[in-house]
Amino acid sequence: MKSSVEVKDPVTEKILDQWMEKPAPFLSVLHAIQDHFGYLPESGLRLVGQRFGIPVSELYGTVTFYHFFSLEPKALPDIRICENSACCLHDLDAICEEIVDKDLGIPHSGKVEKISCPGRCDVPVPILIGETFLHGAQSGAIEKATPATMPLPPEIGLEECLFKDIRNGVSSLEKAVEAGSWQSPKRAADDPEGFISELKSSGLTGRGGAGFPTGVKWEAVRSEVADQKWIVCNADESEVGCFKDRVLMAHTPHALLEGMTCAGLITGAEVGIVYLRWEYPEILESLQTAIDEATAAGYLGVDACGTGKPFQIVIRRGAGAYICGEETSLLNSLEGKHPFPREKPPFPTTHGLFQQPTVVNNVETFCAVPPIIDRGGDWFSQLGLGDQQGTRIFSVSGDIQRPGNYEVPVGTPLRQLLMEFAGGTFEGREIQGVTMAGVSGGLVGAEDLDVRLDPASLNDLGAMLGAGGIVVHDDTRCMIQAARESMHFLAEESCGKCFPCRIGTTRMTEILDELNSGKPVREGLLQEIEDLEEVLAETSACGLGLAAPYITRMLKKYWPQEIQDKIDGSGQALKEGSE
Amino acid sequence: MSTEMKMVIDGAEVSFKEGETVLEVARRQGSFVPTLCYDERLDPYGSCRLCVVEVEGRRLPASSCTLKAEAGMDIRTGSDHIRKMQSTLVEMVLSENPGDECPRCRDIGTCEVHELAEEFEVSRDRFLGAISNASKDDSNPFLLRDYDRCISCYRCVRICDEVEADHAITMTGRGWNKGIATAFDGGLMDSDCTLCGQCIYTCPTGALADKKMVNQGSKPGEIEITRSVCPYCGTGCSINLHSLDGKMIGVTPVLDGPVNEGALCVKGQFGFDFVNSEDRLTRPLIRKNGELTPVSWNEAFDYTAQKLLSVRDDHGPKAFYAIASGRAPGEGSYMLQKFTRAVMNSNQVDNCSRG
Repeated sequence: MKSSVEVKDPVTEKILDQWMEKPAPFLSVLHAIQDHFGYLPESGLRLVGQRFGIPVSELYGTVTFYHFFSLEPKALPDIRICENSACCLHDLDAICEEIVDKDLGIPHSGKVEKISCPGRCDVPVPILIGETFLHGAQSGAIEKATPATMPLPPEIGLEECLFKDIRNGVSSLEKAVEAGSWQSPKRAADDPEGFISELKSSGLTGRGGAGFPTGVKWEAVRSEVADQKWIVCNADESEVGCFKDRVLMAHTPHALLEGMTCAGLITGAEVGIVYLRWEYPEILESLQTAIDEATAAGYLGVDACGTGKPFQIVIRRGAGAYICGEETSLLNSLEGKHPFPREKPPFPTTHGLFQQPTVVNNVETFCAVPPIIDRGGDWFSQLGLGDQQGTRIFSVSGDIQRPGNYEVPVGTPLRQLLMEFAGGTFEGREIQGVTMAGVSGGLVGAEDLDVRLDPASLNDLGAMLGAGGIVVHDDTRCMIQAARESMHFLAEESCGKCFPCRIGTTRMTEILDELNSGKPVREGLLQEIEDLEEVLAETSACGLGLAAPYITRMLKKYWPQEIQDKIDGSGQALKEGSE
Repeated sequence: MSTEMKMVIDGAEVSFKEGETVLEVARRQGSFVPTLCYDERLDPYGSCRLCVVEVEGRRLPASSCTLKAEAGMDIRTGSDHIRKMQSTLVEMVLSENPGDECPRCRDIGTCEVHELAEEFEVSRDRFLGAISNASKDDSNPFLLRDYDRCISCYRCVRICDEVEADHAITMTGRGWNKGIATAFDGGLMDSDCTLCGQCIYTCPTGALADKKMVNQGSKPGEIEITRSVCPYCGTGCSINLHSLDGKMIGVTPVLDGPVNEGALCVKGQFGFDFVNSEDRLTRPLIRKNGELTPVSWNEAFDYTAQKLLSVRDDHGPKAFYAIASGRAPGEGSYMLQKFTRAVMNSNQVDNCSRG
């Protein structure tokens, strides 16, 4: 249909009327339409295109980018099951068979669709029907998912910062205030320079993985002159094996809101947006409750925390796309653009949301701000071991006794985290290796478990610390398969714009499949891997492609024999570096 | 006013103007920088990454098409390392497409992908695996959409948006499962497409082509190309006429055409069937006894002159009204108005483009 044809759709008209004046309404409008119709009808999208000034073809393309927008009506929801690192250690096929046959009490289509990690690696395997999560246990039992408990740290005298009160039920405003919440925004308003210098001395850096100093970022946005500025919280925690932000938002939402409010008061932004991944429906509800409570109590609103300055926070829900965790993709997603990463520079500090100066920080980063202001930058800084500053949260999952999130000093040995905190692997088994940064930081083999958990130490090994997800693989696992699963995830989630990443991650996955197939492998396969690594690591347009070679490089570093065995076992001798 | 600044490219000091990209400066001074997603008419996109260059002081190479030139920059475009990565990238691109003969290269002229393959002396034999996208069976009469050969540079989408402002096509999906589609994935005829054909001639592969120009059994070397001006309207777009054995087989736009810079409309691009049509009039006809009868040119001129004069003399000058065709050259239009005024004594003269 040509776009000049007039469309009538009173439901969508009403939704648009409700949302258009609100901040960055694009995603909310689409979700509201989908919630009403069960999908995004053509008539609705045409109206959305008209109101947002987006050509309908472009809008259609943008919608197809996301996993969880549907363009076709569905009578019943499909069954969605996680296929990534910690979960694929389980017998997914058996679980799938079990689900299809069993009466789960939730109507479904009977069609099983594998999805990328929904951030519940501590309680594998998550199964999603509509917006309800079920849990497929190793035993084959399917039950309603219950939130994982927060595992206790060992009593070895280490001080927690973000997790200090997290087990004390501080999710309600009342309890949070009792525990000392919502004090820091006044300080941000009264003494912004002092506030920034505390942040700088704390050594707090971006916990989403990129590690940019938070104080410097806030100061940069503060110094910009603009009509409008924005605070954006990146809660699109989509990296496989990472679920720390979910737990922070569930258990200590007021720390996040407080941190964002401080950022607003420091920089002059009046609106904060939490970009929440679609796969956290329970957080959508609980975080909104926290926002409502804080607004009712005057911590948010026209006179935020009695400072005389306005600050409000809204949630915008993603729609299933890992790349939207890349900050510039996230901003494009909020604006209603095709969520490809932007070329940097310019950076969001000067050209962020709607080209205005914007602070984009991870959930953990914002949550760290209130305790730093409460107890001082130097206090936070000295929590780190040796030269390292502060603490970091690690999500540990896979073949491990006590999966969960642990807050440890930066610089803690990986072995201590795995053994003393997470209880080591199961009896009779040994840890063979772990994935880092979720999965995109590569692999670390058993021989290097003493590596310290700080960015530089991981870099020295050739891996990356990233967003702090660690998936443990015991000695029964095939690490080539583990690498394949990591690469497959990146290939599935590549935005497809830049050639090295789109082609490279797919070819890498195919090559790892070929190695695992047991059939003769192509000649020159190792040289192909090496050439792909080079192009990915040096020419990719964003971090996804740049990081992908960590996986194969670390695989070759720690498990060369396994690769050679596969090649030899395939019956075809292969000279490395041939061609 | 732009000021002139200096930078170093491949060891030579070169001047540039503010706003220029490193790619533009490098190419101007003669460095070979390959590209596939670049078209000078479009905004820089930075997706093929073939134009990466080394920048002194930076850890990683940068895509030169998106990198703004800065005073004092020291750029290297052609190190062995850069060339090796570019060569690998070309091999990766080749692996996305089928290995059979590229119809674009065969019938119209070598496509950019295969030009680069020749330049880097590589062929489609490494990184083989899945083929990208899927062809679309599109019933439109002009545009072949063979997305098996698509390399997802999105030049077609971007020229449709940025230059034509038609927004007929878009990129869909993501990662390996990306594609090109109209809104709601219908045919081009049901979309906002004006069939201008711009997408075909920015496409660096054989994914998009003029349906009528492929599979005619021709080889590029046998095709004669004649630069001309589109006769359809007064704009004067530059075109290349492709002919085989003296017969016209199609039109391609001329990128350095001063008026159109490579743009054409549906008529100028595809509307040349009449040239070889059997219905085309090739000699004058006069209706005699109700039958159209071929006559000589002299007889036709005499007959027409006599009839026009009788109109003027019997009914007066106001009975005559001349409308010049927009397809006529300026000289022809001039003559028509001169004829109308001097011979027919009428001031009633107009041009069809005015309506």
